[in-house]
Amino acid sequence: MAVMNDLRTMKNAAWLGWQMEANWADPFLFATYSIVKPISATLILVFMYMVVTGGNTDNPYFSYMFVGNALYMYVAEVLFGVTWVIHDDREHYMTLKQVYIAPINFYAYILGRSAIKIAITTAGVIITLVFGVLVLGVDIFLDDVDWLLLLGSVVLGMGCICVLGLALGGITFLTARHSIGINEGVAGVFYVMSGIIFPITALPAWAQSISKVLPITYWMDSMRRAVMPDAMAELSTAAATDVTGLGGVSDLYIMVYLAISTAVFFALSLGVFRFADGVARRKGKIDWTTAY
Amino acid sequence: MSDGWIIKNLRAVKGRAYPRVVGAQREPSWVFFEVLLPLFTVAAYAYVYQFMDARQELIGYVVLGGAMTAFWLNVLWSMAAQFYWEKEIGNLQLYMIAPISRMSILAGMALGGMFSTTVNAASTLVIGALIFNIAFHVVDPVMLIAIFMVTMVALYGMGMMFASLYMLFGREAYHMSNLLTEPVYLASGFYFPVKYLGVFAAAGASFIPITLGLDALRQLFFTSGAGDAFLSLELELGLLLGLCALFMVLAHYSLRYMEYLGKATGRLTLRWQ
Amino acid sequence: MEAAVETKSLSRVFEPKKKKEGKSVTALDSVDLRIEGGELFGLLGPNGAGKTTLLKILSTLLLPTSGKAYVAGLDVESQFSAIRQKINMVSGGEISGYGLLTVKENLWMFSQFYGIKSKVALQRIDEMLKDFGLSEKKDAKVRTLSTGERQKMNVIRGFITDPDIIFLDEPTLGLDVNASRVIRSYMIDWLKDHPTKTVVLTTHYMVEADELCDRIAIIDNGRILACDTPERLKKMVKMNTTLSMDVTRLKDAAVLGSFSGVENFTFTEDGDKGLTRLRFVMRDESGVSDIISAVLSQGSRIESLQKTEPTLEDVFIKMVGKGLE
Repeated sequence: MAVMNDLRTMKNAAWLGWQMEANWADPFLFATYSIVKPISATLILVFMYMVVTGGNTDNPYFSYMFVGNALYMYVAEVLFGVTWVIHDDREHYMTLKQVYIAPINFYAYILGRSAIKIAITTAGVIITLVFGVLVLGVDIFLDDVDWLLLLGSVVLGMGCICVLGLALGGITFLTARHSIGINEGVAGVFYVMSGIIFPITALPAWAQSISKVLPITYWMDSMRRAVMPDAMAELSTAAATDVTGLGGVSDLYIMVYLAISTAVFFALSLGVFRFADGVARRKGKIDWTTAY
Repeated sequence: MSDGWIIKNLRAVKGRAYPRVVGAQREPSWVFFEVLLPLFTVAAYAYVYQFMDARQELIGYVVLGGAMTAFWLNVLWSMAAQFYWEKEIGNLQLYMIAPISRMSILAGMALGGMFSTTVNAASTLVIGALIFNIAFHVVDPVMLIAIFMVTMVALYGMGMMFASLYMLFGREAYHMSNLLTEPVYLASGFYFPVKYLGVFAAAGASFIPITLGLDALRQLFFTSGAGDAFLSLELELGLLLGLCALFMVLAHYSLRYMEYLGKATGRLTLRWQ
Repeated sequence: MEAAVETKSLSRVFEPKKKKEGKSVTALDSVDLRIEGGELFGLLGPNGAGKTTLLKILSTLLLPTSGKAYVAGLDVESQFSAIRQKINMVSGGEISGYGLLTVKENLWMFSQFYGIKSKVALQRIDEMLKDFGLSEKKDAKVRTLSTGERQKMNVIRGFITDPDIIFLDEPTLGLDVNASRVIRSYMIDWLKDHPTKTVVLTTHYMVEADELCDRIAIIDNGRILACDTPERLKKMVKMNTTLSMDVTRLKDAAVLGSFSGVENFTFTEDGDKGLTRLRFVMRDESGVSDIISAVLSQGSRIESLQKTEPTLEDVFIKMVGKGLE
């Protein structure tokens, strides 16, 4: 019964998110979130690459960078989405208190709203990848895709990102007008540390140790192994050393690591969320507005 | 005797800047978020160049561009989009009936936010330079200050023009700010010299003041910057001065027109759009 | 003499953003109104009657669809900048300002938008906080204020700029008796001290309108249905006055029904108390003195007398066809 209620909450929250954020019937919104933003962000890297290499996109690193940047949208947008729900409902719509006191599972509400972010982001990721393959020659061939690995990576990865988002959402309860800063910053940590647009071996040794703990590092690698296995193999063989930093790690190990990390982060996130929620109630921050 | 129009508007600027200034003092959590976190994006791009064995200046450009994003984000989110938030919380109509220029309110927001924005930009510049061992060689300090100031005036003038649009926007304001973030990073060459976009694209992007400002700053901060320049410093200064005038005039008229349109359609005070 | 506010055939129609969002709404329909300087003028009407729309037009936030509106003799369409020098506006339940500023800082900030020197503004703020019983809260953050305290602060914000004309949109909405009383008395005192200034007030509360306003316009569906002093408005209602009297026992009660103006007369004997209870429904009040004389001439004493007259609520119901509640 409780599960049914939570699912209903998620469905309703997703509907609300759709009305507020997405609504693909509106071409402006579709163009914004699924075409212009992702393609522009990717083209920044493409131009950086071109400035240095003069335009040689055959190098497997180009595909590595391009695909990583496209998939990173999930990390940035979902983390952003979860914290934004709290910030937006509290500061702008001033509805957080009503949702908060409603007899619903608040996590289900947040996850429902986030589901829409995932849907919008998926459209952006697919369009970006298609653009990369068709226009820039990114090494993705449907025949070579490891669909099973892809499915496992997507499910575990999304779960992991969502629970990380929940923890950030909890912190948003306590911060002033910095929710944009929080999620941009935390997503930024992953951007640098998780081998998104450059292999973690480019980082100093101490930073690499941190990278190898972060679940996003493993998620990125497994996603790349699934969608561009040839380029990943080429990247490893082109250099004498382990370029990606995870060359010796098996697919199975990655899946298990992701599953464990998701569970650990889930527990951690719930703890952070509950703590922040308690502090917010004690300090009366549930319905405050901090804009100035 | 009553004070003149300019004095009254300066008081309005001070009035609107005040909450931003005391806000920064009373809720110091911004220091952590605004200073430390933006460095990650800069670091990621810097490592991309480093991984590709790019020349050191390109990493310097990333640090410089990363610092300048603070101003662009401040214009976009804390000034232009702020009109939308002000409408939602009921302040916009009070600003509207006040006997002062809307530009004074916007200037107040900009100046009030300038402190934290400048801290953000300066810290990105200094910490980025230290981490990635960037050597800045200021070729012409006077020109540097002139370019920076003119770029800021033109950029905030453009922000005021955007604000006029946001006055009528409901939810679209948030989407519009989101829409403009990355494309401007791309078009203005925040992380690579803009000339690599090609002459026509770079010329088009030059209508965004920060494009020319960044191109000029690259030339002024780095000895080899001239080789990556899109236009000469003098020409860029001249064009930026032109953009200052253009955007200030456009902002003035567009604020007036949008206010009229808002009053005609009733959207000026319509909340929860 | 120049009117503080004047409207001529003023209409406002709201068009939907998209056709599928519904039909256009006529919020104001040919409103003709003249408010003199020095008046406390009330707009009384149900929700959606057009009160706020009218106030928005007068306070330069909204343009009319047709017709004209003048504030201090200035056209709201073309001379809005000059009007803004002379007006201010406060709405009930507004949440203006910034929660992290203190009451004093918030009021100072808004005073700066009117170009008031800081020294003058701070002095006025101190005085007005005292008038509103809010001095103790001057350094409290705005977000910590109660609803009543917040609304008092909002009203101070409106008056602190010393406007010639102030528009108050339901200023006591949702406030307790004490907070409402403070705000109402301030309005009255302000007009006493500044006899040429004008208050235009919209309200839901009949008693507030009746007690405060020099004149009242009753508005519904965008139309002004009546506009006059509360007393004259009440006279417009052709409603019989009821006279109830308790007297010591009368010798002949029946004779009292024959006096002029009496439409209906009933009486009952209260044997326990030794009283006769008389109830007259009067067409007019011409026979009241004769009735009293007749009672006294029979050697009776009047123990109690009550006259029931039409209220503003009766006027409202007659005009609008329904009550406010």
